[in-house]
Amino acid sequence: MASRLVVVASLLVLCCLAGICYGKGHFSSLKKTLDVTASPKKGQVLKAGIDKITVTWGLNKTLPAGTDSAYQTVKVKLCYAPISQKDRAWRKTEDDLSRDKTCQHKIVAKPYDASNKTVNHFEWVIERDVPTATYFVRAYAFDSNDAEVAYGQTTDAKKTTTLFEIQAISGRHASLDICSICFSVFSVMSLFVFFYIEKRKGKVSK
Amino acid sequence: MEVEVPAVAEGSNETQKWSVAVDSENKATEFRLMSIAKPHMRAFHLSWISFFSCFVSSFAAPPLLPIIRDNLNLTATDIGNAGVASVSGAVFARVAMGTACDLVGPRLASASLILLTAPAVYCTSLINSATSYLLVRFFTGFSLATFVSTQFWMSSMFSAPVVGRANGFSGGWGNLGGGATQLIMPLVFSLVRDIGAAQFTAWRIAFFVPAFFQMLTAFSILIFGQDTPDGNFQRLKKSGQKPKDEFSKVLFHGVTNYRGWILALTYGYCFGVELTIDNIIAEYFYDRFNLKLHTAGIIAASFGLANLFSRPGGGFISDAVSKRFGMRGRLWALWLCQTFAGVLCIILGLVGSLSVSVVVMIIFSVFVQAACGMTFGIVPFVSRRSLGVISGMTGGGGNVGAVVTQLIFFKGSKFSKERGITLMGVMIIICTLPICLIYFPQWGGMFFGPSSKKVTEEDYYLGEWNSKEQEKGSHHASLKFADNSVSERGRKHNTSTRPNDEPTPTYV
Repeated sequence: MASRLVVVASLLVLCCLAGICYGKGHFSSLKKTLDVTASPKKGQVLKAGIDKITVTWGLNKTLPAGTDSAYQTVKVKLCYAPISQKDRAWRKTEDDLSRDKTCQHKIVAKPYDASNKTVNHFEWVIERDVPTATYFVRAYAFDSNDAEVAYGQTTDAKKTTTLFEIQAISGRHASLDICSICFSVFSVMSLFVFFYIEKRKGKVSK
Repeated sequence: MEVEVPAVAEGSNETQKWSVAVDSENKATEFRLMSIAKPHMRAFHLSWISFFSCFVSSFAAPPLLPIIRDNLNLTATDIGNAGVASVSGAVFARVAMGTACDLVGPRLASASLILLTAPAVYCTSLINSATSYLLVRFFTGFSLATFVSTQFWMSSMFSAPVVGRANGFSGGWGNLGGGATQLIMPLVFSLVRDIGAAQFTAWRIAFFVPAFFQMLTAFSILIFGQDTPDGNFQRLKKSGQKPKDEFSKVLFHGVTNYRGWILALTYGYCFGVELTIDNIIAEYFYDRFNLKLHTAGIIAASFGLANLFSRPGGGFISDAVSKRFGMRGRLWALWLCQTFAGVLCIILGLVGSLSVSVVVMIIFSVFVQAACGMTFGIVPFVSRRSLGVISGMTGGGGNVGAVVTQLIFFKGSKFSKERGITLMGVMIIICTLPICLIYFPQWGGMFFGPSSKKVTEEDYYLGEWNSKEQEKGSHHASLKFADNSVSERGRKHNTSTRPNDEPTPTYV
C-alpha cells in the first residue's frame, strides 16, 4: 500500500516537473530588451526609509520597432545580488519564475505605452522593511496575460557590476531598549524581594 | 541536631481537609482536572501554566524568523546554530534543576529560574546581530529546565496510581507551548504592525508578550504554590519534618542508578525528537511541498498541539497498564509505543504526497508524545531520595537527544531533510532497545519477573540510605513511598494484606 502510494506520488511529481520544463514563466526564456538604470553608483550605501532611488527604463534603442508591441505593464523590482543570497535559501534564484525568490521588493508597477518613446522614470523612497543587503534593479515586462515576456537589469548577466548596498533600519528604539532593561531588572529584583519576604515570614513564625 | 518529630504536622495549625483522596504521604490518589483546590490540583495548574509559558518563550523566535533573519541579516548557518543553542542550554540546567528541587523544593527552584531567564526574553528586543540572537536563544532555552521542577512537583503531590497521568498532563500541556507559540507570535506581530509599527520594530515589541506572561507565572507560583501537601520545604525543614539532605549524597545516588542513564537515553529519542521536529518541520513542509510560510506554520503548530491529549494519554495508559501488570507493564508499553513512533518517523521521511505526509506526521506526533508521557510514568519509581536528580538526568537527556540529532542529521546540507527524518526514525528504534535492560528487583523488567530473593519495595528504596542515616530517621519519607509503591506489583501479586490505595488518610 505504501509502495503504491510512493509510485503514484513520484509519477505526479515527474509530471509536474515535465510540465514545468516545457511551460512558460522561465527566466531563461525571457529576452533582455529593456534598458534599465538606477541612480545609486557602484558600491554606494543607501539608508532604508531615508534615501531615494531613481530608476529609469525604456526599450533598447538598437532593437527593431515593434519588439515591445506585446508589453502591457512593467514592474520594476529590487533584487538580491549573489553575495546576499549565499547561505540563504529563502532568496534563491530559480529559473522557474513562479519559484524564483531573487527579486522580493517591488519598486513600482506602471503600464507600458509602446507608442510613447520617452524614457520612463520613477523616484522611490526605500521602504523601511528592506533588509541590509547588496542589490541591483531589474524590470520585467508583462503582456496582457500577466506573464513575463522580457526584462532588463542594471547589472550584467553574472550580476557582478553596478551593485549597491542598502542599510536597513535597526528597528530598535530608545524607549524599547529602556523598557526591556527596566523589566529585566524588575524581574530579577522581584525574586530577591520574595526571598526577603519569605525569610522575614520564617523569622516571625519562629 | 533536629529531634525526630512524629507524623503530626506541627507547622500546620488548621485540621487538614483534603478536597481529594490522599495516601499516607498526603499525596493525592485521584486527579481532578477541573479543580484548583490547594495544594494538589493548584500545584498542577501552576506548574503546567508556567512550563507552557517557558515553552512559548523558548520557541517564540522560529515563527518570526522570516522577519528576524532579514532584520539581523542572518544566514541559514546562523539560524541552525541558534536552534541548537536554544535546546542545549537546558541540558545542564535540567540536571541542576533536579538537584535544586531535591534541596530547596520545586516552588523556589522553578520560580527562581523563570524570573532569572525572563530578562533574556525581554532583551530579545535589543538584539542586532547573529551572535546576540544566538545568545538570547541560548539563555531563554534554560527556562526549559522548568520541566524537571514540574515533574518533581507532580511526583511530590500525586500518588503512584495517578502519578503517570499527572506527569503526562503537566508535561504535555506545557509542551503545548511549542505549538501555541507558532500561532501566538505571528498574531501578536501582525497586531502590532497593523497599529503602525515598522516590521523590524513590531517583532521586537511582540516579544514583550511571552516575557511578561512568563514573569506573571513565576509570581503566581511564589504566591499560591507550595512544595508538598504538608507545606513548603523551608518550613518543613525547620520543624524537622523534612530533614536536610546532603547535596553530594543526593547526587551520588542519582548518578549511580543505571536506570536513570537508560531513561535519559530513551527520553532523548522521544522528547529530543519532538524538539528537533519543532525546529525543522515548518521549513520541511515549506521547502518540500512549496507551501506558504503561514500554512507551513499551521502544520508545524499541529505537531506541538497534539500534546494536548497525546502526552497525558501516554501517562494514562502507563497507569492503566500498571494496575494490571505493574512496572513490567509500564516498561513494555513504553518500548512498544516508542518503537512504533520510530517506524512512523521512517515512513514520514519516505512519503512524497502532502496529505499523506500530514497524516503520518500527526500519528507520529501522537505516539512520540505518548512515549514521553510513559517515560515519566516510570521515572518517579527509579529513586526516592534522588527523585530530582533522576528527573533532571532524564529531562537533560531529552535535550541532549535534540542537540545530537540536529547536529548529525539536520546541520548543513549533508542529508536532505527527508533523508534526515528517515535516519532519525532508525536511530529512535535503536536507542529505544535499552529499555529491555531496565530491571527492578522488586518488580522485574521486560523479560524477567521479580527477583527470586523476594526483594521488597522497602529494600529497594531504603538501599539509598546507610545505617547511620536510618538511625537518624532521615529515611522515613522513602519508607512511606515504598509502602505506597506496592501497587507497581500489578494485580497478580497484590493479594497481600498490605493496604494500598487507601482512600481515607490514616492521619495521626
